[in-house]
Amino acid sequence: MIQITDLEKFYRTEEVQTIALNKLSFEVKQGEFVAIMGPSGCGKSTLLNILGLLDDPDGGSFKFNGEEVAGYNERKRSDLRKHNVGFVFQSFNLIDELTVFENVELPLIYTGVKPAERKKRVEEVLEKMQIMHRRNHFPQQLSGGQQQRVAVARAVVNNPKLILADEPTGNLDSTNGNEVMDLLIDLNEAGTTIIMVTHSEHDAKYSHRIIRMLDGQKVTENILA
Amino acid sequence: MLKNYFKIALRNLLKNKVYSFINISGLAIGMAATMLIGLWVADELTGNSYYKNRDTIAQIYQHQTNNGEVGTGPAIPRPLEFALRDKHGDNFKHIVMSSWNQPRYLQHGDKNINFQGNFMQEAAPEMLNLDILYGEKNGLKEKNSIMLAESTAKALFGEINVIGKIVKENNSTDLKVTAVYKDIPDNNAFYDLRYIIPWKFYVTHQEWIERSKDYWDNNSFQLFVQINDNTTMEAVSEKIEKVKQIGDPDMVQYNARMFLHPMNRWHLYSDFENGINVGGRIENVWLFGIIGFFILLLACINFVNLSTARSEKRATEVGIRKSIGSQRGQLIFQFLTESFLVVLFAFVIAIGIVLICLNGFNNLADKAIVFPWTNAWYWFASLVFILITALLSGSYPALYLSSFNPVAVLKGTFKAGRFSSLPRKILVVSQFTISAALIIGTMVVMNQIQFSKDRPTGYDKEGLIQIPVMSAEFMGKRDVMRNQFLSSGGAVDFTTASSPATSVWSNRSGYTWEDKQPGFQEDLAYTNVHYDFVKTFGLKLIEGRDFTREFASDSNAVILNKTAVEYMNLKDPIGKYIRDSDTEDPNEPLKIVGVVEDMLVQSPYEPVKQAMYVFDQYENVAFWNLRLNPTKSVSENLNLIENVFKKNFPNTPWDYQFVDEEYGKKFKSEERLASLAKIFTALAIFISCLGLFGLASFVAEQRTKEIGVRKVLGASISQLWLLLSKDFLTLVVISLVVASPIAYYLMSQWLQKFTYRTNVGWSVFAIACLGALLITIITVSFQAIKAAIANPVKSLRTE
Repeated sequence: MIQITDLEKFYRTEEVQTIALNKLSFEVKQGEFVAIMGPSGCGKSTLLNILGLLDDPDGGSFKFNGEEVAGYNERKRSDLRKHNVGFVFQSFNLIDELTVFENVELPLIYTGVKPAERKKRVEEVLEKMQIMHRRNHFPQQLSGGQQQRVAVARAVVNNPKLILADEPTGNLDSTNGNEVMDLLIDLNEAGTTIIMVTHSEHDAKYSHRIIRMLDGQKVTENILA
Repeated sequence: MLKNYFKIALRNLLKNKVYSFINISGLAIGMAATMLIGLWVADELTGNSYYKNRDTIAQIYQHQTNNGEVGTGPAIPRPLEFALRDKHGDNFKHIVMSSWNQPRYLQHGDKNINFQGNFMQEAAPEMLNLDILYGEKNGLKEKNSIMLAESTAKALFGEINVIGKIVKENNSTDLKVTAVYKDIPDNNAFYDLRYIIPWKFYVTHQEWIERSKDYWDNNSFQLFVQINDNTTMEAVSEKIEKVKQIGDPDMVQYNARMFLHPMNRWHLYSDFENGINVGGRIENVWLFGIIGFFILLLACINFVNLSTARSEKRATEVGIRKSIGSQRGQLIFQFLTESFLVVLFAFVIAIGIVLICLNGFNNLADKAIVFPWTNAWYWFASLVFILITALLSGSYPALYLSSFNPVAVLKGTFKAGRFSSLPRKILVVSQFTISAALIIGTMVVMNQIQFSKDRPTGYDKEGLIQIPVMSAEFMGKRDVMRNQFLSSGGAVDFTTASSPATSVWSNRSGYTWEDKQPGFQEDLAYTNVHYDFVKTFGLKLIEGRDFTREFASDSNAVILNKTAVEYMNLKDPIGKYIRDSDTEDPNEPLKIVGVVEDMLVQSPYEPVKQAMYVFDQYENVAFWNLRLNPTKSVSENLNLIENVFKKNFPNTPWDYQFVDEEYGKKFKSEERLASLAKIFTALAIFISCLGLFGLASFVAEQRTKEIGVRKVLGASISQLWLLLSKDFLTLVVISLVVASPIAYYLMSQWLQKFTYRTNVGWSVFAIACLGALLITIITVSFQAIKAAIANPVKSLRTE
């Protein structure tokens, strides 16, 4: 599903150039659950942003479903993103001014789904995430765990082929963290590919494969299942 | 999608009440001001739209050259009518002679009311397409008839179907009502035409008018025409240009040129300078149009500044939306939708403000504007106005906010760049530049008015009244009334004049005198006055004496003003003679008996014109002038004078004018301009300060932690106040530096139109600069001090 070869990304300031990704290569197959680990600043999040088509690499190749997407313009990236990728962030990133229902509904609006169908699908996913009773609440009225459930619901409501999770349990206590990981496992078992960036060895163990990075490069790769 | 945008916009508005209030109220005030100005401009631009024939109606004007100076005006001589009918009649549908609009007493039963109106020829109702309610359009056919405006009929009779009823004019002649027409709306020419009496009546009514039919130099009338459809104003103007010179070869030396001044240009383009139409009220239309636009711009700048300043708060939303598939165009549309919503709210409030203020505004602007609820064009224009305002205020924030990089935002590393506040600073500078320029401009206008008001008038206006006595009933009563007024004790001096004390109704030429330069074309302001003229008016005699009964020869005497002596180049004028080449008896020249200090009667902004005050031997009287008794109170004097008047004219309403009040009316137009400018300047400052207040509170909020740290490290409240305020003060200082030369240049240009004018002195700039700085300090300090006195522990904890 994902094939990256010699991927490069640099950050430049007025005086220095920092290499975030240094000729990184690996593949992720459809239905895999991959965890990416490494110390802060090793390029994990940069990689996730490129995989999520939020950012563009400076060099190398990035094939998504066999199609070369490196160098796509913003419009094409956005189009591909909204139909194929769901995001789960450490800090949940819900829109404070929208209710639970409206937050989850948002991706469907952008993909042009009709209101009746939207309602059905949002309710389905809220039921699945066991957050239906909070549908009319605003994010700040929810606990961290509940907010992350909503974020996961929003990530999956469009049935994306790929979910990118950036430290999804980083802001949660262990009980809520485990619940979120269970949700991700369920999604993965249902066929969704998951790439998760994490610092937590505990969370990484839920995945099929752990890629460890340092200084923008892959250092090890462990297959767990 | 749209619903989602509206929802989030509404929730954002409710969540940030202070910002919403500043944005919406600022925009509402700005929009209300712009709407009022818009209504005013529309009213000005649609002047004369009542007249269906306005494209073909014109007034005949003439240029006349005196000593190289071209004067232009609508006053024309009677023979012009005959020449146009005889020689050029095929160019016109209608030719209508008219008197000037003048007050007249109309009486029915016990009602005797003063109305403004004209004497006009038969075709007037047809040409003006008057809306006849009762009677016939040809109601001016019979000499002793009268057409009444609906309001006049109502006031006199209490009803409007009054055809055939009798109205007595000026207590003398009975006139039969032949038609009642609908009142002409306010922003149209002839709006004060409350009656029309046939021209035939006018001509036979007073001897001088009858006699004037042969005099090409008696420019005492008006002439309106409607041209034929197959010709143009320019073509007809060209044809009639020399008609006066042909009629009277004497006019060749004055290069008298006739032309048509089209009705479409009457209202806005009525000023002529040296023979060229240089505009008129259109300047005010532009001026207020620009002010309106600027006020709206100021309010839009607030919106832009507050939206972009608070961008970090919206950044996360932008990042999330982008990450889940929103394209930049969609985000731009979303933010524009938000600004549209804000503008829509502001518009609704603005309409409320306009409705509340419309009456006051009408009083101030001397208008009768009605809110155009049922005018589809108005609502269409409003929609365009809303969209333009939304685009003006929403475009930059939409482009700015939608440009955020989702990666940086979602990572939490987003910080507005070092130069991100630069556009905001530029906009604040623009705002205060506009406000400061308006402050300076308004002050210069006020200074100019005060400067002109302080100008010596050359006579004593206080305690001087004038009684209009233009109807026949007053003829021959001068001496009797004088004696009665003086013996009543209400007045100490009495004279008469053929013009009001604050105007000159007649200008004359055709005189000769000793030492007159060959070819010199004089143009003298001419007023007939009577005994005790100098004394009654409180004029200062430079040499010679007043008209007095002790000299029988005064029946052929004249007093000149100082400017006339210089103008005519008279050395030792007293005792010299001025000969009128038009008088029937050229052997009776006018003897100069006195020279007085210049008496300011015309524009207070122009030099005093050369004037001659000729002793009135034929009772050419328009006003009785009385100097009130200084030993009694004004009301006491007026009572005594009124009693004398009523005793002699029991059926005539008692009417008088204070000369100082009449003089004060000369400043009305400029004072109106100043009042409007003051209000709009105050609004501009208020809106700018509102924005500054919002920005100050934003900066204080943004720098909470810094303030806390500084305070913990020992910063005093005044140091913190300075820290937070100095950026804004710097911006305002820059604005003042930019605004001052601009305002200086513009106001110097504006002052050029007044010959008698003040300077744009440094004090104006000093006051404006100090004022602007003071306002800024007050506005900014509230937030700065609030932040500075906050408990640092609390502010550090908020981080």
